[in-house]
Amino acid sequence: MALLTLDQVSVAYDNQTILKDFSLELEKGKLLSLLGPSGCGKTTTLRLIAGFLEAKQGKFLFGGKDYTRVPVNKRNFGFVFQSYALFPHLSVYDNVAFGLRMRKVKDRDVSERVMRMLEVVNLNGFEKRFPQELSGGQRQRVAIARALVIEPDLLLFDEPLSNLDANLRVNMRVEIRRIQQELGITTLYVSHDQEECFSISDQVAIMNKGIVEQLDRPETIFKYPATEFVARFIGFHNFIEFDERSDAGDAISLKVGGRLFTATANPGTVRPGARKGAIRPDDLIVSGDTGQEAANALPGMIKVSTYLGRSYQYVVETELGDFTANQEMETPYFSGQRVNLIFPQDKLVLVE
Amino acid sequence: MREKHFGLGLFSLLVFIFLLGPLLIISVTSFEPGTVLKFPPEGFSLRWYENIFKTGGFIRTFQISIIVSLLGNLLALILGIPAAYALSRYDFKGKSLLNAIFLSPVLIPGIVLGFTLMKYLIVVYQLPMYLGLLIGHTIIMLPFIIRVIASSLSSFDFAVEEAALSLGAGRVRTFFQVVLPNIRSGILAAVLIAFLESFNNVDISVFMTGPGVSTLPIQMLTYVENYFDPTIAAISVLLMVLTGLLMFFIERIMGGLTYFTKR
Amino acid sequence: MKKSAVYWLLLPGFVFLAAFMVIPIVLTIGSTFVQENAFTLDGYLHFFKDPYFLKILLTTLQVSVVTTLVCVVLGFPTAYYISRKAPRRKGILLALAIFPLLTSPVVRSFSWMIILGRKGLINNALVGLGLIDQPLDILYTPAAMMIGLTHLFLPLMIISLVGVLENIDQDLLKAAQSLGASRFTAFRRVVFPLAVPGLVIGAVLVFVGSLTAYTTPALLGGKQRVIATFLYQNAMTLNDWYLASVIAAIMIAITFIVVGVMNRMAKTLNPKG
Repeated sequence: MALLTLDQVSVAYDNQTILKDFSLELEKGKLLSLLGPSGCGKTTTLRLIAGFLEAKQGKFLFGGKDYTRVPVNKRNFGFVFQSYALFPHLSVYDNVAFGLRMRKVKDRDVSERVMRMLEVVNLNGFEKRFPQELSGGQRQRVAIARALVIEPDLLLFDEPLSNLDANLRVNMRVEIRRIQQELGITTLYVSHDQEECFSISDQVAIMNKGIVEQLDRPETIFKYPATEFVARFIGFHNFIEFDERSDAGDAISLKVGGRLFTATANPGTVRPGARKGAIRPDDLIVSGDTGQEAANALPGMIKVSTYLGRSYQYVVETELGDFTANQEMETPYFSGQRVNLIFPQDKLVLVE
Repeated sequence: MREKHFGLGLFSLLVFIFLLGPLLIISVTSFEPGTVLKFPPEGFSLRWYENIFKTGGFIRTFQISIIVSLLGNLLALILGIPAAYALSRYDFKGKSLLNAIFLSPVLIPGIVLGFTLMKYLIVVYQLPMYLGLLIGHTIIMLPFIIRVIASSLSSFDFAVEEAALSLGAGRVRTFFQVVLPNIRSGILAAVLIAFLESFNNVDISVFMTGPGVSTLPIQMLTYVENYFDPTIAAISVLLMVLTGLLMFFIERIMGGLTYFTKR
Repeated sequence: MKKSAVYWLLLPGFVFLAAFMVIPIVLTIGSTFVQENAFTLDGYLHFFKDPYFLKILLTTLQVSVVTTLVCVVLGFPTAYYISRKAPRRKGILLALAIFPLLTSPVVRSFSWMIILGRKGLINNALVGLGLIDQPLDILYTPAAMMIGLTHLFLPLMIISLVGVLENIDQDLLKAAQSLGASRFTAFRRVVFPLAVPGLVIGAVLVFVGSLTAYTTPALLGGKQRVIATFLYQNAMTLNDWYLASVIAAIMIAITFIVVGVMNRMAKTLNPKG
C-alpha cells in the first residue's frame, strides 16, 4: 500500500483551477519527481502536500490517515525551498535547531542531533556562521539539514537547485540522492530540469496542465514516452503521423503515403492503436546514399546545416515535412544535397 | 496560502478610523451654519468658506506661503541638484561627512532651527524677515530635494552619460541634455514633497513673523487662539484637498508611494 | 572630470548650510557656555536645579515615551496587516496611512480640539449617554498631547514598519510552520526579530518627533508646557534668549543622544551585522 495518496483533489486560486481530480501515489522510501514546464501544477501539488494550500475537493491520505485538514505545523514533513528560506537572523546552528526546539527536544539532544546532521551534509564547523556568510551550495545544505533533522515522515523539495550554478547543481543532486538513500526517506522532488529529475529519481511523473502525462521509471520514460507532450519535453523533435498500423507480435508495421516503416512495440505505456511515430535527432541517420528505396527510409534534401561542436545538425526537407537530425562526421553535407533519412526500427517509438 | 486575519483586520480598521476619523469630522463640521463648531453640524452652509476670503488675512498669508515655498523650492533645487549629483555619482574624500551635513536639517529639531535662524539671520545678520523666512524654508527643503533626486539618480545608468561624452558632448551639456531629462520625474516628485514639507511648516515660520509677514499655518494658529468658529475647519478641508491632489501626483510621478516606506 | 570639480558641485549648498544653519547653531550652543566673557555652566546648572524646568522636561519625556509605546502597539499589527496584502490593496492602505502624514499638523491638531474639548465630540457623547454629569477635562492635559502626537506620528511608525515587513520573504513563515511552529510562534520567532530594525527606526522617529514637536503641544497642551513650547515662550514672549539657547542646546543634545543610542541598538539587535 502506498504511503502517500492524493485522491481526486482539486485546487484553485483566484478562481483559476490549477489541479482538477488529481491523483498520485508514492511508496515508502522512494524518491518521486514531479517534472514539467512552469504552470503545470507541480509546485501546487507539492504545496498541497506540505499543507501550504488546501484542497477544494478530494482527499490526501498519508500512512493510512486523512491528512487533508491537518495544519502545516502538525504534519512533520520537511520542506526545502527554492529560495532556501533560511532564517537570516539565526546562525546555521539555530536554523537547524529550529524544528527541534518547536518539538521541545532537550537542549543536549538538540545539540547532538544538529551536529550529527551538519556532518551528514558536510557542514561541520559552520554552525556559528550566519546564512549571508555562506555560499549558495552551503545554504542549500543548511536548508536540507534543517528539513532532515526533525526526522520528517516525508521530505519535499521545491526546485532546490535552480538558484545554483551548473557545476554545483550536479554535485548537489548527487548529494541529495546520497542522503535520501542513506536515510531511506520518502521524498517528493519538484523540478523543471529533466536531467536533474531523471538522475536522482526512482520514479518520475511528467505533468502538463494539471494532469500527469506519464509516471514511470526514468529509464522507461526516456526510451518510451507515452504521449507527444512527454516526447517533446524529453527531446524528441521529429514526429510522423502514420495512416495505417498493423501489429504482428512485437513488430509493428506502419504506412504513410505509400512508404513502409517498422517500429518496436513499447512495454505497455501506450494504448495499442497509437499511430504517431517519434524519434530523437540523435537517433535519425542521414545517409548520402540515395540509391535504394528501402523500408524505414525517407528521401529528402538538406535545407540548413549548422555545426554543434561534436556533430552537425541538419534540417532535412522531405515529403512528410522537415526533420532534424544530428550526426557526427568529418565533412558535412552541403545545403541542397539530396540525402536519405534512415529511421532505425528500435529508435522509432509510438506515442499518443 | 489564503490566510484569514479577522482580528488583525479589525484592529487595523480601528487604527485607520483613529487616523482618518478626525479628518473626516473636521470636514463635516466645516459646513456648520452656526457660529460654534459642533459635531454633527446643525445644517449645511458654505458661509465659513466665504468667511475665509473675508477675514483674518488668510488669503494674504496663503499667498506668502505659496511664494516662500516656491522660491525656496527653486533655491533648494539650484543648491541641491548639483549636490545630489555629486553625492550619488562620485566617490571622494569626506563624502560621508558632507552627506551627513546635507541631510542634517531633518535631524535638528525644527523649533531649535527656527530659534537660531531668528537669532542670527534676523537679529545678527540683520536680514529682512522675508529673506529669513525664505532661507529657513530652503534649509528644510534641501534634505528632501537631495534624497529624492539621489534615489532617482541611483537608478540612472551612468553609461548613458559616458555614451554622450564619447559622442562629443561636453560635461555641462551632457548634464543638461542627457542626465537631467532622465531624472525629470525624480525632480518633480522632489519638488512636490519638499513643497508640502515647507507649506505645512510651523516650527521655522513661527519665529519669522513680523509686521505684514506670516504664513498660512501661523495665521491659522493665531486664529485658533482667538476664535473657535468653523473657519479653520473650512480652510482645513481646502488644505486636505490640496494635499490629496499633490499626493496623487506624487504617486503618479513616482509610480507608487514606496519612497515613503524606504529609509 | 577633475577630482576637485566634485567639490565645486557641493560648494554652493555647503556654504549656504554652513552660513545659515551650522554657524548659527554652533554659536547658539557656544553662547550658553559664556556669561560676562567667562566660561560657565551656570545656565545648565540653573536649568537642572529648577523644579519648574525639570517638571517640563519630565512631562516632555513622559509624553514622548508613552506616545512611542502607543505608536508601537498600534503600528505593528497594522503595518503587518498592510504588508501582507496584495500590491493593489497595499497601495491603497499605504496611501491612507500617508495622507495624514502629509496633512498640515495644524489641521490635525485642530481636529482633536473639536473631539476632545469640553463641548467636544467625546464629552457630548458621554454626557448625552448619561455616563457623566460634568464634561471631562481632556483637552489641555498631557493626555491630549499624547493623543495628538500619536495621531501625528503613527503614520511614520506604520510606514517604517511596512518597509521592513514587506521585505520579509513569505517562505520564511512557511519554513517555520513546516518545521512545527504555529502561526503565532512563527511570527514571534521569525517575523518579529526581522522587523526589529524597522521598529527601532520608527521608534526613533516618533520619540524624537514627540520630544521636539511644537504645534501639537501648543494647541492641545494649553498651559501645560513641553520643552519646545517652553523654548518658544522664552525666546518670543519672555525674551530670555540665554535660557532659550540653553533649552535649544539641551534639545539638540537629547536628540543626538537618542539617535546615537538607537542606532547602536539597531546594530546590536540585528545579528546580520
